[in-house]
Amino acid sequence: MLPVASLLILVPLIFAAVTFLTKTKDQAATLAFAGSLATLGLTLYAYLNFDSSTAVMQFFESMEWIPFLGIKYSVGIDGISMPLIILNAIVTPLLVLYSYSEDREAPNRFYALILAMQAAVIGVFVSLDFFMFYIFWELTLIPLFFMVNIWGGEKRKHASYKFFIYTHVASLVMLLGIFGISFACLQQTGVLSFDIRELITQFQFIESGGLKDAIFLALLFGFLAKIPSFPFHSWLPDAYSEAPTAGSVLFVLLKIGGYGLFRIMLPMLPNTGSPDLIIMVMGLLGGVSVLYGALLALRQKDLKRMIAYSSVSHMGYVTLGAAGLVTMSVSGAMFQQFSHGLIMSIMFMSAGVIHRNTGTRIINELGGLASKMPKLTVIMMVGFMASLGLPGLTGFIAEFLVLTFTFGELPGFVVIALLAIVITAGYHLWAMQRAMFGVYNEKLGPVADLDFPQTLAMALIALLVLYFGLNPSPVLDMMITNSNAIVGLAAAAGV
Amino acid sequence: MALENLAFLIPVLPALAFVITFFFGKNMKSGGAIVPILAIAASFVISLMITLGLLANPEEVVTQSVSWFAMLNLGVLIDPLAAVMLCMVTFVSLLIHIYAVGYMSHDPAKSRYFAETALFTAAMLSLILSDNILQLFVSWELVGLCSYLLIGFWFTKPSAAAAAKKAFLTTRIGDVMFLTGIIVLTSDLLKIAGGIPEGVYLLRFNEIFSYIPELSAMQANIFGTEVSHLTIITLLFFGGAVGKSGQFPLHVWLPDAMEGPTTVSALIHAATMVTAGVYLVARTFPMFLAAPDSLMVVAYVGGFTALFAATMGIVMNDIKRVLAFSTISQLGYMMLGLGLGATIGMEAVGVSLFHLVNHAFFKALLFLCAGSVIHAVGTHDMRELGGVAKVMPITAVTMTAAALALSGMGIPGTSIGTSGFFSKDAIIENAYLLGEHSGNWLPYVFSILAALLTSVYIFRLIFMTFTGKPRSNYGGHESPSSMTIPLAILAGFALVFGGLTQTGFMSFLEETFSNNFVNVDIGSLAALGGYELVHATGHEPLFILWLPLIVALAGLGISFVLYYMRAVDLGGIASEKNPIYKLLYRRYYQHELFTEFFSIGIVYGVIAFLAQVVDVIIDSIVESISIVTVAAGEALKRVQTGVVQTYATVMIAGVSLLIILVKLIMEVL
Amino acid sequence: MIPLSFYLGLSALLFSIGLFGVMTHKSGIRLIMCIELMLNSANLNLVAFSSYTDTLNGQVFALFSIALAAAEAAIGFAIFMAIYRMHDKINLDELNLLRW
Repeated sequence: MLPVASLLILVPLIFAAVTFLTKTKDQAATLAFAGSLATLGLTLYAYLNFDSSTAVMQFFESMEWIPFLGIKYSVGIDGISMPLIILNAIVTPLLVLYSYSEDREAPNRFYALILAMQAAVIGVFVSLDFFMFYIFWELTLIPLFFMVNIWGGEKRKHASYKFFIYTHVASLVMLLGIFGISFACLQQTGVLSFDIRELITQFQFIESGGLKDAIFLALLFGFLAKIPSFPFHSWLPDAYSEAPTAGSVLFVLLKIGGYGLFRIMLPMLPNTGSPDLIIMVMGLLGGVSVLYGALLALRQKDLKRMIAYSSVSHMGYVTLGAAGLVTMSVSGAMFQQFSHGLIMSIMFMSAGVIHRNTGTRIINELGGLASKMPKLTVIMMVGFMASLGLPGLTGFIAEFLVLTFTFGELPGFVVIALLAIVITAGYHLWAMQRAMFGVYNEKLGPVADLDFPQTLAMALIALLVLYFGLNPSPVLDMMITNSNAIVGLAAAAGV
Repeated sequence: MALENLAFLIPVLPALAFVITFFFGKNMKSGGAIVPILAIAASFVISLMITLGLLANPEEVVTQSVSWFAMLNLGVLIDPLAAVMLCMVTFVSLLIHIYAVGYMSHDPAKSRYFAETALFTAAMLSLILSDNILQLFVSWELVGLCSYLLIGFWFTKPSAAAAAKKAFLTTRIGDVMFLTGIIVLTSDLLKIAGGIPEGVYLLRFNEIFSYIPELSAMQANIFGTEVSHLTIITLLFFGGAVGKSGQFPLHVWLPDAMEGPTTVSALIHAATMVTAGVYLVARTFPMFLAAPDSLMVVAYVGGFTALFAATMGIVMNDIKRVLAFSTISQLGYMMLGLGLGATIGMEAVGVSLFHLVNHAFFKALLFLCAGSVIHAVGTHDMRELGGVAKVMPITAVTMTAAALALSGMGIPGTSIGTSGFFSKDAIIENAYLLGEHSGNWLPYVFSILAALLTSVYIFRLIFMTFTGKPRSNYGGHESPSSMTIPLAILAGFALVFGGLTQTGFMSFLEETFSNNFVNVDIGSLAALGGYELVHATGHEPLFILWLPLIVALAGLGISFVLYYMRAVDLGGIASEKNPIYKLLYRRYYQHELFTEFFSIGIVYGVIAFLAQVVDVIIDSIVESISIVTVAAGEALKRVQTGVVQTYATVMIAGVSLLIILVKLIMEVL
Repeated sequence: MIPLSFYLGLSALLFSIGLFGVMTHKSGIRLIMCIELMLNSANLNLVAFSSYTDTLNGQVFALFSIALAAAEAAIGFAIFMAIYRMHDKINLDELNLLRW
């Protein structure tokens, strides 16, 4: 058996380093593609050897790292992390492929950053020690920061600093939470440890309810800001819209906030001092995010900003489903993460192509592109329809599970989210109608359709959206297994 | 039986045709039209065979089921209700496809057209044979998507793109209600079943129906009144049907849906899409039966829509728009028919579906005839037509047959009459029964008035289009045989189908819910709702039986006088100065009210704007934290002068101060 | 024998004079001279303590200190010479090119 979990971090990291040393774009792109394909191969190997009927940690590796601080190197994959690794492993090579059509400065750095990002994100997913978790968590900031700062749009400097500082502050609060839980457990057991699973188990033995709440809220803040949930989202529109297309897609693949909710927050939730209140707050933030993101997306004039706000709206379902705290709602929230990654990739890639080929992203300056860009229109339609929750595509499955199964627990917040559905359809169709349909805006001059690598990359993602929309079981089953385990903990604690 | 195992192919074949035509149609003859035509023909054959089997033994329904994900499944349920719909949809859709080969022959994007109509048909077929509510919803939404694509088929026309968006969004409001209904239903079922039961697909219709008593017993308190959960769920389902079937007030998208090719209008208005709402109510009818309040709402909304749409139909000048309002009005009848379940129980499904099928024939025919006229003449505006009968005799004859069917011409008490006569009269008579038994006379009044107006507007259309002298210079010729043959077939059905199947049809449909799969006890459900059922029709006073025919003839007479003889000068009445005419012509200002005031004004202008204000405030807080931090740094950096002497001075001062402090503290201690 | 406090007093006096000079003078040359004064007051202390405790440690330190002071003065004066060549004067307040 290969040590897959470690290799999944190492392989992209090594390829990133090698890619950095290349000179030309072709070399860089080829190496990056090879690296991401190798990661995809590893992921496939992991998936084939993965048992989705058990919630136990698989491909588990553990060894002492810094013994006197109780820090271990321990990695593993289970049903919470596997789908997200699959998502990352699938989209990254396609992102490399997609980016091949674009010429830019310093291609070696560009492609190296994509791979470094992949290593960092997968690192977060496989880490089972808070110390490693935090290192990889912070490592994800660096490639994104440079992505936005170097290759971004006009306001890239402001956007990159805002994103970096905002999420970094949130991470520091989270770090305080990590220290809090670790030292509180040190007092209980007399052993210093940063092992995530052990600390979660020990969490219930902390005596002070107030301390438990403080630890929980500190961690929760870190995750909510990363998801991002209303009202901690204000870094997102700037960062998503100023980033280059590849950067936006990398942002979309940054599913670590929601992952933290499932991996760390939900198992701890039942043992906090006031779980019911926290569930209400999470549900409220989730429901409001859905509606709020949709309303703001409706007001945007810039296509990419619109997509950015729709991302806030979609991620609201993750928080909402997590707050539902029944097996299927949590699975739905996990599936929403997976689905959102695929759908938003298509949407940002489409917006990227439109911006590149026409020179503008302002929706009202576009018009009638469908007659000039038929391939883009078809693929974009799949993305937009999936995003507005059309059945048969992935978005619907996630939203249906979240809404249906959360309704029994938190009906009010589900109704808030339901209100957003029509608005969601509204802004998607409005953008489609203005940008793609109608009479072609001759001011745009001649525009080209997708070229071959772009078509291939985007069509493959669109096919996946369709495939997982019709047959979600390959990833949904393992999510259900693990949600069951999480919810079982809550039931045992009587929540 | 082997044939039943092929049931799943009914929607799958057109779906495959979609894939083939979409990707390879461009290189095939006439846009690959042959692929969907063959596929739908095969579906039609399978449907017909299954239906014939069912006719022999209505209890043995076809069921198939595979697990989808979680506790949900994909499945097939063909009982009499579904069988009838399947045959109608495949048959009408097939004829429309054949007709479209000629109609779309000049369009460069015809392969896309045939692909999308194939998908449209596939989605509708999948909707009909769903054995669970979720699959029905999935197909329901796919139907919506296809209508969006097809209404916006000529997407370079801004009006088409806008109409497509409007159709999707308006029906989406209904869809959300439907989805909410499913959500409430599922969460209730989970509560009743105490979690997700093993080995049972909870959302299958048989499971849902078996839980009706428990659902009915669950009470919710809404604004101070106790409402049963079943009433809430059924009303939400009906909300979905209102959107899809163009009932008041969500009918606004239907007239605009004319922006697509005329064949698409025919598909939407006759075979697919709009009938989905009626079908949904019919499919979940046992639930409605146990919730009489919902049935009353259905009856009132249906009756009102029938009248409301007909009033607008009489003033429209666009030939397709008249037909669009006619569709809305007829759908109102179908809904009214279902609402009558409060008195006649399961018969209501038969009555309503009978009208649905008949309507499909004559409405498809009306649209295809209109398409034929438009195809040949090149204008939609009836004011520019006139005397077309001379140029297009076949079209004129078939369209007149459809008009007779729509207005419901026939002799009561005999089996002589057009299709529309048998079904519409059945609805009107049963509406009378409803009034007699429950005192709710309004639906009956609505339906009678609507029958009068129906006759007026449809003969107005016939006279204005086909008789008199041409009012503009149009060329024109009779359409090719690929277009006229479907017309002739449909005309035959429009004229005789109702008479031939009158009795058999309704009794066949009444078997729907008493088969080996669903098997609901209608009587006990009605008892749950707390009312009695009556079965007898035909015992009404003679006047009531003849009244529909009388008003239909009166309508014909009015149109004849006004539009054939032109005995009255309409210039003064039909002008913008007449407030009533203006109100009707402007469609009761619905566009202004719904689109401009509500959607753009309230939702976009106020609510979304407020959200944006909130967002700016939140963002300003974040930005101001950074501004304050930077400003504080700017201020504090002045302390670091960089002059060593200053540092030394401050240091000495500090040390001196410290010494004095220490000294003082020592003394105090 | 002269009591130790006399040496310490002298040293403190010298140190204060030096300190006052460091804090007030604008000219670099004077500044360095004042620093020398402070260093030498420290040397005086070292030698005085050394003599009173009958060890040589203090005197050795003093020698080191003088050597250091020489090196420091050499570098300091060299820098000020260079500055003088550029500006024709050595006003410390005007040397703020690297500030903020």
